[in-house]
Amino acid sequence: MNEHSDLTSTTLGFIYPLFIIYGLYIIFNGHISPGGGFQGGAVLSAMFISKYLILPLLDTPLAKIQTVEKLLLLLIVATPILFLLTRFNTAYAVLNTPYLILMNTLIGFKVACGMSVIFLRFVFYEMQ
Amino acid sequence: MLNLTLLALVVFSLFAVQTQKLRHAVIYLGAFSMSIAFVYLLYDAPDVALAEAIIGSSLSTILYLVALQKYKIFTIYICVNDKEIEDAHFFSGEKTLERQLSKFCAREELEPQIIYTVEDVHKLFEHPYAIIVTFDKQYITLYAHPENYKMQAMEQFLLNEKPADTPYRFIQMED
Repeated sequence: MNEHSDLTSTTLGFIYPLFIIYGLYIIFNGHISPGGGFQGGAVLSAMFISKYLILPLLDTPLAKIQTVEKLLLLLIVATPILFLLTRFNTAYAVLNTPYLILMNTLIGFKVACGMSVIFLRFVFYEMQ
Repeated sequence: MLNLTLLALVVFSLFAVQTQKLRHAVIYLGAFSMSIAFVYLLYDAPDVALAEAIIGSSLSTILYLVALQKYKIFTIYICVNDKEIEDAHFFSGEKTLERQLSKFCAREELEPQIIYTVEDVHKLFEHPYAIIVTFDKQYITLYAHPENYKMQAMEQFLLNEKPADTPYRFIQMED
């Protein structure tokens, strides 16, 4: 797996944009169709993970990703508190759909960050 | 359709348990995940199917493969005399030897990585290897790495198995 393979790199080069589009589609359509934040985030992190197959180098800033993940967790907790507990959802019923999309997006990106961090740590730091 | 997929589940899981190489077991598990995702879909749970398909067949498969890379790998180079590797090699004497070596590795709980190559033997000594096998008309020669302490057990094993047409020759390399 440490050797460069033209076959994998070319194929994954084609698949990369599809990964991103499919992941974002699952996230943004999660409230009306099957899927949602978790599934979409897992697709996005599968993109990071398949990158390892092409180029096994640690060029991803792990510490930054971890910080972003923590911030996203804070936002995931804060958004329902600000939106639901303040009775915003009954006062402005129009905002319900944007709220669901926002929550799915936050969860999706948090899952993508978390899974990538788990995988990259496992690959590059856990020695025999 | 549902019954067929359920049958495929049983078959894949049996394969995954029964196979001798861990790497094959990982691939069978990926196929198992795909089929069980399809079963979820047929049971009207597309959400679960999506999660199972992604996690089961991409994330966990790659994780297992990486973990196998970190596991003790027993690298076996099989030198082929011709200029190019042809399909015929995979059905001839090399294949029987490969099967015996795999059997030995399964018994000793090693994970074999078998590589067919056309390189010269002396170039291969620079690679990380456990065993290099060369074929010529008189002997099948097995070169063992200096740190390979499984060589004697392997010698015993190969001689106990039904002997090949050409006799074996075992050489333990020195530093």
